Amino acid sequence: MKKFLMFLLVAMLALVLVACTTTKDDGAEKDKKKETEKDDGKTEEVAEDDEKADEKILYMNNGEEPTSFDPSVGFNAVSWSSLNNLMEGLTRLSEDHLAVEATAEKIDISEDGLTYTFTIREGAKWSNGDPVVAGDFVFAWRHMLDPETASPAAFLAYFIEGAEAYNNGEGKVEDVAIEAPNEKTFVVKLTSPNEAFLNIITNPSFFPINEKVATADPKWFTEAETFVGNGPFKLASWDHDVNLVFEKNENYWDADKVKLDKVHWAMVADTTTAYQMYQANELDVSGIPPELAEQLKDDDEARFDDEAGLYFYRFNTSMEPFTNTKIRRAFGLAVNQEEIVEFITKNGEKPAHGFVTYGFIGPDGKEFRDSVGDLVKFNPDEAKKLLEEGMKEEGYTELPKITLTYSTSESHQNIAEALQGAFKKVLDVDVELQNVEGGVFLAEQKEFKYQMSRSSFLHDYADPVNALESFITDSPMNRTTWSNAEYDKLIADIKNETDEEKRWELLKKADELLMAEMPVFPIYFYNQSTLEKPGVSGILRHPVGYIDLKYADKN
Amino acid sequence: MAKYIVKRFLMMIATIFIISTLTFFLMHSLPGSPFDEERTSNPTIQANLEKFYKLDQPIGVQYVYYLKSIVTFDFGPSIKKPNDTVNNLLARGFPISFELGIITMLVAVVSGIILGTFAALRHNGIIDYFAMAFAVVGISVPNFVLATLLIQQVAVNWELLPTATWSSPLHMILPTLALATGPTAIIARLTRASMLEVLTQDYIKMARAKGLSPVRIVVRHALRNALMPVVTIMGTMLAGILTGTFVIEQIFAIPGMGKYFVESINNRDYPVIMGSTVFYSAFLVFMLFLVDMVYGFLDPRIKLHKKEGEV
Repeated sequence: MKKFLMFLLVAMLALVLVACTTTKDDGAEKDKKKETEKDDGKTEEVAEDDEKADEKILYMNNGEEPTSFDPSVGFNAVSWSSLNNLMEGLTRLSEDHLAVEATAEKIDISEDGLTYTFTIREGAKWSNGDPVVAGDFVFAWRHMLDPETASPAAFLAYFIEGAEAYNNGEGKVEDVAIEAPNEKTFVVKLTSPNEAFLNIITNPSFFPINEKVATADPKWFTEAETFVGNGPFKLASWDHDVNLVFEKNENYWDADKVKLDKVHWAMVADTTTAYQMYQANELDVSGIPPELAEQLKDDDEARFDDEAGLYFYRFNTSMEPFTNTKIRRAFGLAVNQEEIVEFITKNGEKPAHGFVTYGFIGPDGKEFRDSVGDLVKFNPDEAKKLLEEGMKEEGYTELPKITLTYSTSESHQNIAEALQGAFKKVLDVDVELQNVEGGVFLAEQKEFKYQMSRSSFLHDYADPVNALESFITDSPMNRTTWSNAEYDKLIADIKNETDEEKRWELLKKADELLMAEMPVFPIYFYNQSTLEKPGVSGILRHPVGYIDLKYADKN
Repeated sequence: MAKYIVKRFLMMIATIFIISTLTFFLMHSLPGSPFDEERTSNPTIQANLEKFYKLDQPIGVQYVYYLKSIVTFDFGPSIKKPNDTVNNLLARGFPISFELGIITMLVAVVSGIILGTFAALRHNGIIDYFAMAFAVVGISVPNFVLATLLIQQVAVNWELLPTATWSSPLHMILPTLALATGPTAIIARLTRASMLEVLTQDYIKMARAKGLSPVRIVVRHALRNALMPVVTIMGTMLAGILTGTFVIEQIFAIPGMGKYFVESINNRDYPVIMGSTVFYSAFLVFMLFLVDMVYGFLDPRIKLHKKEGEV
């Protein structure tokens, strides 16, 4: 028997070994191939080895494969993180989150605030050496607005004369008011004055596209070999679903300011794994996994930056009992935002007491949020009183059944349960919780099927009006059925007001009115929480915007 | 034999057709669309996108397009990853999932059979207890727990192996271990159970009485019969593991195709749902077909073709 066992053991071991060695060889061969492919030639390889010692390589995580490097199509954070560093628009956000000249060196705005004339910078070049010309912007913006492109970003350009008509198929491309009278001049005409225009065009969908390259190869953006950008970095390699490597772009007009030699982007979707890679020094920057938030929030390497956007709840103002403003307010005031941030989310977020987020500075130099003050604040006595009054107004002896709906996720559930507890404790109302799959949730919320449901908002551009305009009558972002003529007029006035101070006053009024009527109530403002290794510096994170590595350094 | 294969092949086609038709209509009966997002829902933009992906057409027309895409095996571009066609995603993801799956299955089958056989031969002995304790742990500890634990201990604390990604043979060790433990345990238990049963059979006693060597008895007579149940589950297990496992791929950031199954449904990415479902079902059906073939080889009593048996 023993002999047999030995035989079996040896046989199996041999099998395992054979299996392992063949696969290992396969792997090794593949790796070698990749290396030689990358370095075309041995001399280069040696040279690279010598340099490696003092090369600055930043290891980042993008979470997943960017959806598209066609700037008109990749309309999401996973694409923007790369695009914002590989390409550059007419303007770029500065350290103070302001839109400043970038590819354009001079910007002239007409008296009426409608016509913008950009002068393209003399030294602006593409990574293949071509000069960046005004025609590249015309080409790119027309590409974005072309209905055939089906760009999800196109609505951002509706401020431009003729843009909406062309995008919805009614107008012609020639009627879009963008033109290049000469190689270095780019002129845009807007439908109405817009304070935020220079900010809006920092979005990657307004980046130029090298017309020569794109006409010759319409799929230029799909591979590293064919990608041509005009940003601080160039795309050195792109192993789809695996990683991206950027190299400093020597052709960039401001290349002297760029300190990193390379940026390596992993695509690790799991936040815990990313954190473990960070611990093992395989990443220089990582997010904070939600389950470790409490433990890591006071860590020296943790940092929190504002993000313009908020977590909030919507009432359906056509469904009882939320047809009544007082009852809506009662529910809003029963919620203690401070407690939710401190005990539930635990990620250093700021509690929200209004709809407009932090990060917007008015003409008086003051933070918008601070000058408006707390519009919704936990007040159990007031909440009880309002509920009683509201019930009297409606003639209720008992409240109709209330269901609170959220989309499947642990964090949404935790907040929903906290709200349920608060409504019971403060108002003595039993609220039923309903958990719905994400896709179904969004579809049904838009069909007004929920009495009370969770929501979130992230800014498309840095202006308070972007958040507030969501709630004008019938806006696709409204989703509450709430309609208020005074509010609609306020938003229209804001959009036409050219006087900064008056406009700011109107914005404040709109935030106040929205919170007084309370078709929605705020919970907390988003932030960006990250871990950064000591020695890493200069990574710009804007409240509205895209991660910027132009000034990043690693020592 | 040839006739049988042709018949089975036709049945495979029919099965795949039924599965994909069901998937198509189930998928479209789900509320929500690929363009339902929190932030953008401008009607013009939505219309442009729907037109681009032919989602503005009536469902019957979409079904015809879709049948055409199955026959030509060209599912068009993904909605959420417009850079790639579905074929591209599958062509990129499948080899990696396949690689991980094959290594895992090899480890699981080899170690599972060894463990199971030894446990049966040493019934109620230390080896048996050890093997079965391992099996219970292996089956009950979910692989994602094991995966995170392995990364934390082996990669982060001991710094022996890299944490994640799929770039060298060293990177493959941890995901393989995490993924193989469950199947190893299942195979070990099955092998042990059927081995115990087989060992009490008369023909084993007969073989012993004839004075055959123990090795010959176990390998030629016992194991061959004991492996039937193992082969039965291997078909589905293989198809499942080879086409990617979402959780392990997610945790180790392995660019396989496991994530497309899960994410495409969450995202309502219709072309990817259809492409991955058709691909997966074709693969599964093919595996089951292979298993039937192996049956015939292992147990000559199972006739693949009835008429042949009758003659």
